[in-house]
Amino acid sequence: MNSAATQTGGSEMVSQPDELAPVKEMVRACIQCGTCTGSCPNAFAMDYTPRHLWRMVLMGLKEEIFSSRTFTLCSDCYYCTLRCPRGLPLTEAMEALKQIAAARHPSPDRYSTQFYKTFLQSVRRHGRVNEMEFMALYFARLKNPLFALRFAPLGMKLMRKGKVSLRVPLKGRHPLESIFRNVEALEDRS
Amino acid sequence: MSSKIGKALVVGAGIAGIRAALDLAQVGYGVTLVDRSAHLGGILSQLDYQFPTDHCGMCKMLPLVDRDAGSQYCLRKGLFHENIEILLATELISLEGEPGSFRATVTRHFGWVDADRCVGCGACVDVCPVEVADAFNAGMSVRKAIYLPVPHAIPNPYVIDVAACTVCGACQAACPTAAIQLPEGKRAGFRILVVDDELVVRDSLKEWLVEEGFAVDMAASGAEALEKLAGHSYQLMLVDIKMPGMDGVEVLQKAKENFADLKVIMMTAYATVDTAVEAMKIGALDYLVKPFDPEVLIPMVARIFQDMAAAEGRQLEIDALVLCGGTDFVNPASGKNLYGYGVYPNVVTGLELERMVSGTGPCAGHLVRPSDGKTVQKIAWIQCVGSRDLPNGADFCSNVCCMYAVKEARLVKEKYGTQIEAAIFFMDMRTFGKPFQRYRDEAQQHYGIRFNRARVHSLIEADTGDDLLLRSVDLTGAVHEECFDLVVLSLGQRPAAGTAQLAETLELGLNPWGFVESVPFSPARTARPGVFLGGSFSGLRDISESVTLASAAAANASRVIHAAGGSLVPAEVTDSVRTGDPAAMPKILTVVCTCGDKLSQRVNTGKLAARLKTDPAVCAVEFIEQACTAEGWENLVERVKQHHPNRLLIGACMPYVYGRKLHELGRQTGLDAALMEVVDLKMFGTAGHGETGDKRAVLRDFLSGLETGLAGVKWADPQPAAGVPVCQRALVVGGGIAGMTAALMIADHGFPVDLVECSEKLGGNLNWLQYTLEGNDPRKLLEDTCAAVEKHSKIKIYRRAEVIHAYGQVGNFHSTIQEPEAEVRTIDHGVVVLATGGSAADTTAYEYGSCPAVITQKQLEEKLTGESFDPTALNTVVMIQCVDCREEPRNYCSRVCCAGALKHALKLNEQNPAMSIYILYRDMMTYGFNETYFTRARENGIMFIQYRPEEKPQVQVNNEAVTVQVFEPIIGKKVAIYADLLVLATGITPNFPAELARSFGAAVDRDGFFQSAEHKWRPVDSLTEGVFACGLALAPGNIGESTALAEAAAQRALGILARRLLPAAKVVAGVHHSLCSLCERCIEACPYGARTIDPDHEQVLVNAAMCQGCGSCAAVCPNSAAVLEGFLEQQMFEVIDAAIQ
Repeated sequence: MNSAATQTGGSEMVSQPDELAPVKEMVRACIQCGTCTGSCPNAFAMDYTPRHLWRMVLMGLKEEIFSSRTFTLCSDCYYCTLRCPRGLPLTEAMEALKQIAAARHPSPDRYSTQFYKTFLQSVRRHGRVNEMEFMALYFARLKNPLFALRFAPLGMKLMRKGKVSLRVPLKGRHPLESIFRNVEALEDRS
Repeated sequence: MSSKIGKALVVGAGIAGIRAALDLAQVGYGVTLVDRSAHLGGILSQLDYQFPTDHCGMCKMLPLVDRDAGSQYCLRKGLFHENIEILLATELISLEGEPGSFRATVTRHFGWVDADRCVGCGACVDVCPVEVADAFNAGMSVRKAIYLPVPHAIPNPYVIDVAACTVCGACQAACPTAAIQLPEGKRAGFRILVVDDELVVRDSLKEWLVEEGFAVDMAASGAEALEKLAGHSYQLMLVDIKMPGMDGVEVLQKAKENFADLKVIMMTAYATVDTAVEAMKIGALDYLVKPFDPEVLIPMVARIFQDMAAAEGRQLEIDALVLCGGTDFVNPASGKNLYGYGVYPNVVTGLELERMVSGTGPCAGHLVRPSDGKTVQKIAWIQCVGSRDLPNGADFCSNVCCMYAVKEARLVKEKYGTQIEAAIFFMDMRTFGKPFQRYRDEAQQHYGIRFNRARVHSLIEADTGDDLLLRSVDLTGAVHEECFDLVVLSLGQRPAAGTAQLAETLELGLNPWGFVESVPFSPARTARPGVFLGGSFSGLRDISESVTLASAAAANASRVIHAAGGSLVPAEVTDSVRTGDPAAMPKILTVVCTCGDKLSQRVNTGKLAARLKTDPAVCAVEFIEQACTAEGWENLVERVKQHHPNRLLIGACMPYVYGRKLHELGRQTGLDAALMEVVDLKMFGTAGHGETGDKRAVLRDFLSGLETGLAGVKWADPQPAAGVPVCQRALVVGGGIAGMTAALMIADHGFPVDLVECSEKLGGNLNWLQYTLEGNDPRKLLEDTCAAVEKHSKIKIYRRAEVIHAYGQVGNFHSTIQEPEAEVRTIDHGVVVLATGGSAADTTAYEYGSCPAVITQKQLEEKLTGESFDPTALNTVVMIQCVDCREEPRNYCSRVCCAGALKHALKLNEQNPAMSIYILYRDMMTYGFNETYFTRARENGIMFIQYRPEEKPQVQVNNEAVTVQVFEPIIGKKVAIYADLLVLATGITPNFPAELARSFGAAVDRDGFFQSAEHKWRPVDSLTEGVFACGLALAPGNIGESTALAEAAAQRALGILARRLLPAAKVVAGVHHSLCSLCERCIEACPYGARTIDPDHEQVLVNAAMCQGCGSCAAVCPNSAAVLEGFLEQQMFEVIDAAIQ
């Protein structure tokens, strides 16, 4: 156990402006009661529970935090925020982590990052997601044919039920382009 | 009576109010004890069991000295004391004047039942058609509109719930003693003026009110209203705020100028509610929001009518005021109600559970769940409901919930054993009282109660029906779902209803949490001189602390009364001696209550009298109707005056009721109450015989009952045991803040005090304490207290001195004091207060002593204020709590360490915000308002890591480098912290002189602290009378807690010092020296240390003031040499003969 000890303390913790500082600020009064974890409908799928994540934030364990998928799995249901006995803005803190991760810790290999990117790309192009295009692009980007195969049975099922559009998307129409541009401009400014 | 008797008003008759009243009464002051409810005892009347004994024990508060002056039976049933006047259903309205000459106004609400006439037969309840939820059983059962406020009180007159009563008149007709007077007809004399510009509003209001029997007039404008007011007298005005011309507020102002007594209710639309609230500040009583609901309007008007028609304002001249208003529980159904209280029937509050397990509760003590009556097999407690809850404004810990949950869990386990599974879900288990940690450990180890460190976020009903599904997360992050039959919410507390209003009336401040503000370091004092706080009115306290603070408040009040010239103990109380000639033959007057004519219906009273008169000791037999009523009693007094008996026997029902009356009778007729006896005729007259039963058998029964009484009273000794003279001087051992406070309090009452301090300097631990968590300055306190003690003419200080020897008993102790370079001297004193203090414990744990970077919290405090201290040189500080504490052999919490660690951590953080501070703790004992500082510390970035005693932190020291390794339960890993400073909280150990204490007759507990007579009810007393303790010698505590204990100890000591002679009670032990073989068994058997052996005369002596008449000595004596007055052998044989004839 000793060898696995996590190091903390000393001057290491107070070096440089801390990108986690705004999140820390939000969860500082946390008493680790676990209400958030107990309330979270997605906690079962997370690698760290929400309480665990807040603890890591307070301890400044950046590496572990940004390699975790806990915050990407937050579905913004606000249960934790509603029930937290400290009244902490936990859903906001999750969002903040998502943004920091997207801005400063891009992990191109991550499936979820690719998923969101490809999904939005398709939406941007057509005003809605085009399933075929999305699937093709997503699986191509992952460069992992075995992963794609895992979804084959589900894909068949969806297709049988007509949930996957086989139509070739129309080109040249970009109905959401201006919205996306505006958002990009806003994000650049902030 | 040589001088004025001082008088105090105690508001709130819960246990704290009772304690304060008894303490003041015991030193001889007159006390008026008021409570707004219709019964005594506050919340304790609903609780049957208290930790740590799991019994009640409230009676232990009754006076032990001069105990015949008050009642000596179950205190939950009632109380009387010759110096205490009890006014129920009474509220304090205002207070004017200065300490020593206050004028208090109270309003007493009369019910419609005359308590003096009500005989408690219950005929009214049988006919009452109205059923409402019973507040006594926390709403879990129903009662009628006419009801008993508590089922066990004696006397127990019925009261009417004015809000629920429909005034149908059924009870009035059924009452056999004409005790009920309903206010029919009186409403027509109650004139109401309705002012509104809208006709439809006026009309409908008038219609409703007239239907209720009130007299109603109407006015369409402000001007018309004022005109009407001038022409007629009105009791109540309902006025609309928004009217053309003169608006409602203006009408209110003008009306109040001319008719100050007029009650006004504002009528408002939703938009102008703020105006209505403002109007209440200039004299409006209340407001109603449109559209009107008659369900709200009618009770509001009815209540105002009731207050005016059946309330009596009363002015009391008092010297001091003690407020013991208690607290309320948070409403569990308010806010988000995540636990579904009121939604799921099987979610109950702690108080409801107490009622459920009570024999007088809604399910007669059987723990069955409310939804379907199934016996509960699995039960869970959820802690911190409404406490430590920031979104709901409760940044405090309610102090008592952890312990009452553990107690309740133990109670159900005690009752149902393995048939029930009990679990407590908690965040920190706050066992900060002296015996609490062991009590909790026992609950876990011996009773098998599960303690789950997890916060339950909400609960839902399970699919299986009425079961409740709890979801929680353990420390590893694993989610658990579990079903329970019953879930108990450990509700947090809130200021008592009306606290803010009362504080405003009395010009008292409120603290940030909404409780009445006390003075720093003096929790019993308020900023207003002469007004004091007892119990939990100013904060959150358990029973032990509440009664301590009540005694402290009584001490402060007593000091004010004394300073104002109120004498201590009026002469007639001290010198009360039984008037009786021991040689005279018994001449017994027997008075039998016929209870209307019920007795003569059942027995031939002539025969009964004739049979009784065959006993030559009986001088007369009289029959009176209803001795329990005022007329009946007057009749009885006349008979006593007429016959001049030297003994009195009364045959009636409910003997307890007569306690106070017998005392009064004694004063009126000169016959001592000790020579009177009341036998319970109900007990004898009803058993086995119906109304038409065999008259001879019934006669035999009654006779037997009366003859047992005769046998008892015949042998009563007219000459009481001699009292014990008191040396009116006190010895206080220890010159810390507790000792000095106690000494000052006693000396301020005019009694000389010898204060013995072992060091050169007074002040004890205050000499190193620099500041407090709240930011108050203990150095100023020390300076002021030292100065006051040093210049007090009644206090003699012995420095570098020690009490090396002591002997004696209450009233007459003799102690030998050794001073340096002086001859030993022996002083006499009547009482002793042990305030020898305590110190920060020493330790060898965590490399302490091997490295200068490992220090204690005390050393850190000294360091922090030292000049060479540089906070910027520190990067990381680690604090470890509970070092060697809360596990055997020192298995108690020292209370101050968690607050101390926070204090230092916050200071370090303030001096160097970049510093990393870690506090490694087991349970943060930030009880009460300390929780706020815990929150602040978290917010300021101080890290808290919880460790378990099985897996303590490990410390490695390498030169000056300290590495602390601790398992972080949330991230599930061991963490290594490189600390520049490691601070250990080692807790408090007592400096209690066990040998000396034993020579005073006091005992030492297993941890070396003073052993209280009873942790809850007599915290500062020893079981041996005359020995008291306070401060750290008694229990760990902070400065305020220690001074409260000191003032309480002083007050208890004053109860003895205030008398020149401690009177012996009626029932007291004695010795037949001719039969005594000096085997000394009785000395061993006496729990109060009242028996000693006199080696010079070879006799066993009984101290009549210390003896409590328990009879243990008489039971163990092999020769019948130890006797108990009132229970002599011959007497008991006669009683038995009479009973079985």
